[in-house]
Amino acid sequence: MEWDGSVADEGDGSPAPLATIGSTATIGQSRTSRGERPGVAAFARAWAKAVSGTSYLPMTPAQLEAFLGALTTRLAGALQTEPFSLRAGQQVGADLVAAHIASAEGLGRTLEMIDLRLLRDLDLSGTDLPDRMARLLGAVAAGYARALRDRTLDEQETIRRAAMVAREQAELALRESEARFRHQATHDPLTDLPNRTLFTERLSAALDRPGSEPRRLGLCFVDLDGFKMINDTLGHQVGDLLLISVADRLRRSVGDHLVARLGGDEFVILIEETSCTDDALKVADAALAAIGTMAVVDGHELTVSASIGIVERAVIGTTPSELMRAADITLHWAKSSGKGRWALFDPEHNERELTRYALSAAMPGALDRREFYVDYQPLVSLQTGALLGVEALVRWRHPGLGVLGPDQFIGLAEETGLIVRLGSWVLAEACRQAREWLHLNPDAPFVSVNLAVRQVHDPGLVDEVTALLEQTGLPPHRLQLEITESALMSAADQPVYALRRLADLGIRIAIDDFGTGYSNLSYLRSLPVGELKVAGSFVSGLRTASDSASRTDERILAALVSLAHTLELTVTAEGVETARQAERLRAIGCEAAQGWHFGRPGPSAQIAALLG
Amino acid sequence: MPRPDWAPESIDIERPSVARMYDYYLGGSHNFAVDRAAAQAMIAAVPEAPLMAQANRAFLRRAVQFLIDSGVRQFLDIGSGIPTVGNVHEIAQQAAPDARVVYIDVDPVAVAHSRQILAGNERATVLQEDLRNPARILDRPDVRKLLDFDKPIAVMIVAVLHFVPDSDDPSGIIATLRDALAPGSYLVLSQASDDGRRADERQEAEHVYQRTDNPLNVRSRAELTRLFDGFELIEPGLVWVPQWRPDSPESAEDAERAVFIGGVGRLGG
Repeated sequence: MEWDGSVADEGDGSPAPLATIGSTATIGQSRTSRGERPGVAAFARAWAKAVSGTSYLPMTPAQLEAFLGALTTRLAGALQTEPFSLRAGQQVGADLVAAHIASAEGLGRTLEMIDLRLLRDLDLSGTDLPDRMARLLGAVAAGYARALRDRTLDEQETIRRAAMVAREQAELALRESEARFRHQATHDPLTDLPNRTLFTERLSAALDRPGSEPRRLGLCFVDLDGFKMINDTLGHQVGDLLLISVADRLRRSVGDHLVARLGGDEFVILIEETSCTDDALKVADAALAAIGTMAVVDGHELTVSASIGIVERAVIGTTPSELMRAADITLHWAKSSGKGRWALFDPEHNERELTRYALSAAMPGALDRREFYVDYQPLVSLQTGALLGVEALVRWRHPGLGVLGPDQFIGLAEETGLIVRLGSWVLAEACRQAREWLHLNPDAPFVSVNLAVRQVHDPGLVDEVTALLEQTGLPPHRLQLEITESALMSAADQPVYALRRLADLGIRIAIDDFGTGYSNLSYLRSLPVGELKVAGSFVSGLRTASDSASRTDERILAALVSLAHTLELTVTAEGVETARQAERLRAIGCEAAQGWHFGRPGPSAQIAALLG
Repeated sequence: MPRPDWAPESIDIERPSVARMYDYYLGGSHNFAVDRAAAQAMIAAVPEAPLMAQANRAFLRRAVQFLIDSGVRQFLDIGSGIPTVGNVHEIAQQAAPDARVVYIDVDPVAVAHSRQILAGNERATVLQEDLRNPARILDRPDVRKLLDFDKPIAVMIVAVLHFVPDSDDPSGIIATLRDALAPGSYLVLSQASDDGRRADERQEAEHVYQRTDNPLNVRSRAELTRLFDGFELIEPGLVWVPQWRPDSPESAEDAERAVFIGGVGRLGG
């Protein structure tokens, strides 16, 4: 310490000044027992007043005076010591700065005070004193300036370093927050699984990764079965807990493969670097097993199953969206084939579905563009060989696929509901045609038109048929409506009522494909049905007389015919292809037949030719 | 990608910092050209600015000495700035080596600088936090680790409250801090006041501080008195800072030139 204890002793009782002032060579001269040299205190007080306010001084005025008093003694000593040393003056300058009397004004006022008052206040004299004083002032100024410069540079360095550290910390914090933000942006908050964004990134990266080896990968689209019901019955909170539990089990069951939650109860597993399809199937089996284990969720023992759509293929030539779509489609196959299982993507199955989809989408436009037309197949009396009627069979002249039969599009039309419009059109077309034939020949055949289930259930059916008969002028008994057993399976009264009214008009009602459905006898008794059409599958059995299976079919047919007759119904056999079959049917007592043996379906002109 | 609201701000040393401007007023060199330019503009508007800073620092010194003499050994200095010459831990620990000091400042550079200075000092630490979030300050584990809230603590809010607008509810801030303190704790408060100043000086000073992140909100003595609600003001009450227990009668002369009003309040009980 520059001060010795006497500073505090003589001060106001405050502790010693705070600044530690550098050790100096002048310690021995710095004893400041006042009174050692008269005038020191007065000079120090004046000096203290002069420098007050030039910069912040972290001490009391008394401490400052004591400090400057010590310096005063050293300055006086320097002026008188032989040989004259610059060092003492320089050290006083440096000590001033170290005590925070560190400003341009502080130096100016210090030099001014020393020059003006030091010799006078301390009553110093000597011939070379002016010369010594000049050199002392120079030394104090030099020591002061050097210390102030060093201090300034040090302070600049520390503040620059602080700015740098602060910036690094801010950047680090920003990176951490970005990492947190990135995690939030790429993970599902409920399960903390990767979300769709991260999954898509990882899938794209897996597809884009360069490599010479032909690589493969797999996707498993996982969807819980009946999750909505759990949500609806136990509440969303239980649903959410179940999802968390399922996510946890999935994560543990599939090892290092990426499991993501796409939303709702949909998860996806990315299996990179598969060597064959089996790799993906193993993962799917593990996932199904993991999901299928019982879990206690909020006190409920829950066992859920899941369906999985799997795609596994070579990386080359595929895209993320193709893969996702394929997996999604496959998931639907797994669902529709009974749930709780996986399905593997099959390109041919997909192709068929795509074709079906394309056909069903094109159908409304095709109907508007009149791409549909009707062919007619003869229904012939087995007794007389006379043409009794014709069955109207709709065809689609598809611009790209050629002529399509009903089996290729009627099912689709039933799915989309277009069957009602299409069926109406066929019905109208057939009635118009039948009326034309009647012009050619009063014994022209009746026309038999298939009604789809939806048409039978359509409340407007009776009005539609009535209006049609009126418009065309076709007598009701020249129209036969064929319905399948399934049209009558529902408990609704409406179809039965409609059929009664149609029968009351005189329209013939036939049951199509009898024997292939439930063959329910009760409605045959109560309904206004006039005819049974026996499915061709029974008829095709009548091939050889020796065959025992053939004999069984014949007995069944005989029983059917006998039953029909008991109910006062006539029977038409479908699919009759040979004269032998026709012969057997006639022997059994079957009234009529249709099939290639009697004529293939053909255009209306072909029927007209028969009537000419 | 938008920056989330919890991400920290970047360090912009192209903007003047009130902490480094204050260091310049005190004669320090812990400042950059942009700080010096702003400080010089302030001095041009209010020539007493360096005097104000020095007077305020001297008030801080005397207040800490008073608190040490009163037996307080814990200090929470909020808005500590660049802790250079004569800061709380220097004064307090010189007088009482067991004194504990927690510095809080919002300026990341000031905090980094404080950390350098406090390296190795186990009884002093610094945290970056905003005076306007007193609850967060009180919740910081480092604050709780160093300070025992069951014993008296001196909360120092010195030369910083004029950067807190009324819309941030200064009295609510102080009340939150007060409610966490044990009886026998103290509040040391000083801030710039416009009492007796000309309107144009005030406007010019406010204009200078518009450049910083911390615009100036000067307050009257009456407004500041209300902030001591719940505390008992120690003699001589709320005064121009040079008048608060001066070292000598002369050092309290021309006290109103110091612009800062300050005082110390004690929590009774």
